[in-house]
Amino acid sequence: MAVAAPGQLNVNESPSWGSRSVDCFEKLEQIGEGTYGQVYMAREIRTGEIVALKKIRMDNEREGFPITAIREIKILKKLHHDNVIKLKEIVTSPGPEKDEQGRPDGNKYKGGIYMVFEYMDHDLTGLADRPGMRFTIPQIKCYMRQLLTGLHYCHINQVLHRDIKGSNLLIDNEGNLKLADFGLARSFSNDHNANLTNRVITLWYRPPELLLGTTKYGPAVDMWSVGCIFAELLHGKPIFPGKDEPEQLNKIFELCGAPDEVNWPGVSKIPWYNQFKPTRPMKRRLREVFRHFDRHALELLEKMLTLDPAQRITAKDALDAEYFWTDPLPCDPKSLPKYESSHEFQTKKKRQQQRQHEENAKRQKMQHPQQHGRLPPIQQSGQPHGQMRPGPNQPIQPPVGAGPSHHYGKPRGPSGGPGRYPPGGNPGGGYNHPNRGGQGGGGGYGSGPYPPQGRGAPYGSNGMPGAGPRGGGGGGYGVGAPNYGQGGPYGGSAAGRGSNMMGGNRNQQYGWQQ
Amino acid sequence: MLEAGKGEYANHGRQQLPETSQAELTLPRVLSVLSSTLEKLVARNEKLVDGLNQQLSCGSVRLGKSLNAFHGVRAPSISIPKYLERIYKYTNCSPSCFIVGYVYIDRLIHRHPDSLVISLNVHRLLVTSVMIASKMLDDVHYNNAFYARVGGVSNAELNRLELELLFLLDFGVVVSSRVFESYCLHLEKQMLSNGAGLKIERALVSTTVDDDNETDISVENNQSSSPPQIVD
Repeated sequence: MAVAAPGQLNVNESPSWGSRSVDCFEKLEQIGEGTYGQVYMAREIRTGEIVALKKIRMDNEREGFPITAIREIKILKKLHHDNVIKLKEIVTSPGPEKDEQGRPDGNKYKGGIYMVFEYMDHDLTGLADRPGMRFTIPQIKCYMRQLLTGLHYCHINQVLHRDIKGSNLLIDNEGNLKLADFGLARSFSNDHNANLTNRVITLWYRPPELLLGTTKYGPAVDMWSVGCIFAELLHGKPIFPGKDEPEQLNKIFELCGAPDEVNWPGVSKIPWYNQFKPTRPMKRRLREVFRHFDRHALELLEKMLTLDPAQRITAKDALDAEYFWTDPLPCDPKSLPKYESSHEFQTKKKRQQQRQHEENAKRQKMQHPQQHGRLPPIQQSGQPHGQMRPGPNQPIQPPVGAGPSHHYGKPRGPSGGPGRYPPGGNPGGGYNHPNRGGQGGGGGYGSGPYPPQGRGAPYGSNGMPGAGPRGGGGGGYGVGAPNYGQGGPYGGSAAGRGSNMMGGNRNQQYGWQQ
Repeated sequence: MLEAGKGEYANHGRQQLPETSQAELTLPRVLSVLSSTLEKLVARNEKLVDGLNQQLSCGSVRLGKSLNAFHGVRAPSISIPKYLERIYKYTNCSPSCFIVGYVYIDRLIHRHPDSLVISLNVHRLLVTSVMIASKMLDDVHYNNAFYARVGGVSNAELNRLELELLFLLDFGVVVSSRVFESYCLHLEKQMLSNGAGLKIERALVSTTVDDDNETDISVENNQSSSPPQIVD
């Protein structure tokens, strides 16, 4: 795949987007589903090429075309990199309705709009959750390096991803890792003066500065998420599985220590610092908790999980870390095991059975939520891990007839109550799905991306035009009192956030606390 | 005023909309410049259509169909300036949205040169493009339903127009600061050539408008209204 220069646009790419119908593709299998809509694996009839079709959900009439979709499309048009998912085209499906002349043309978008992506076999979460799956150290280094390379590319192109998590990292059978789901992404300027929403990034991967309410932030937010994923790969399970924001912060503080003006200059100026600051001293315990990690891994993780975003390592510097340049070196993606052939498709019936099988497996998993299927990596350095499983040196289990390990947006991990990610953080219905995971986890191509948006005037009161028509309007243009959306996230959220935020979770058992 | 913040015009503070009574006084100048530019364009295109119709004498000219979705049965009675003013007053979108909306319309014309902006479609084009611009630029913006009421079209129609415009633009909705600035300059020149004698208070760049060259981009002689071809 050719790498375009940064900023280069594929303006000449043909055919023109939107000109083709979804009928050019044959849907093979649904690979993602949920309340948000569907993602399909499909074959382009003319070329036989396998793609992923993501339907853009458009059922909120008042909002029109989802801004998340516009943003994702415009950003993906701009980005061309081996480690960023490629948006190939946009296709439409003609709706059943016809216009006055009986031509279906008039409603050509009624049926739906699909984004056509290159097909990827897995996402990182799904892959890691396979039974018996165990990543090797060179494999983890290989994935991490690709993740950082892709992210560095986004950052130098002034794009923040804002939803880095395992299920948004797609992996194909060539071992390539690509960033996907740019539905929350946005361009940023380097001056950091813009006010951005802090309601982004799935809770478990959300950095402390966002949890503390900052609205001025930059690429460091993505690097925190990368740190969480890195630790998760090494540790074998998510490290900060918070239920809500207060608990999330508490988990972070438990491991990384409490922030203060010494380790994080300026932290006391962040909006919610005073509400959230721990009531007791908390020491940084990262090195202690993860003492079994490889020295270079721990060193890099320390720099990623740095509380102060200004001191947190950048993607570029992380790529230069010793970790990637010491034995065992990252492996060549191509040398990674193939977990299933991308080109041999099973019969429909088999797929059906398989899906049934997966459903059952997942259902079982939900009944035993405390069990994590995730295993820590195979240590090749010699000394066994010792911590969690016997026989950490056993080779990778060959995949047994498992299909692509996509995470279908089903809850994973501690799924006692809600889905994978807790529903907190979106009070007042203002923003677009900050915690999209509320509907269930990821799903590769960005599964939760276009939920109904409840976006009035998010900040509520300021600058609303007065109601009622104000002169000017000629015939037919009268606007009665417009009912704009009221009540922004900040209106609703401040209350209830206060007193008991630190409660309830102090005695929580964490996986890494023994 | 034509504001073009050097970097992030998108976040270039929203125009503080004062109390209603004063709103008239503080309408951004971009509205009047844009109005007169579009009025000229429409007048010229209508003349063109009339001319062609007479020549052919067999009914209506076959123009490009790209803008068909935006055609009304008859022209709305509200003038372009009033319509723009209305959008601005009710939606409180930032003035930049009008520039960017204009960029969209201009891109449209360049992409589909056989399509003409005329009185039958200019209103719908405007409300749709300003709405999309606001979606792109303003973190705080009204939804389609609100824009539909302001614009005098149904919610469903505006949604359809939005999609139509997005596809006609091939989702080319990014406007770089450089392009934004060049459009500001162009509109400022328009203003001068109108003889309105309005000087724009310029928050943006140090370059001054070159009075001698004001006619180098002439709306009168071009098929489209526009200045620089956009290469983004």
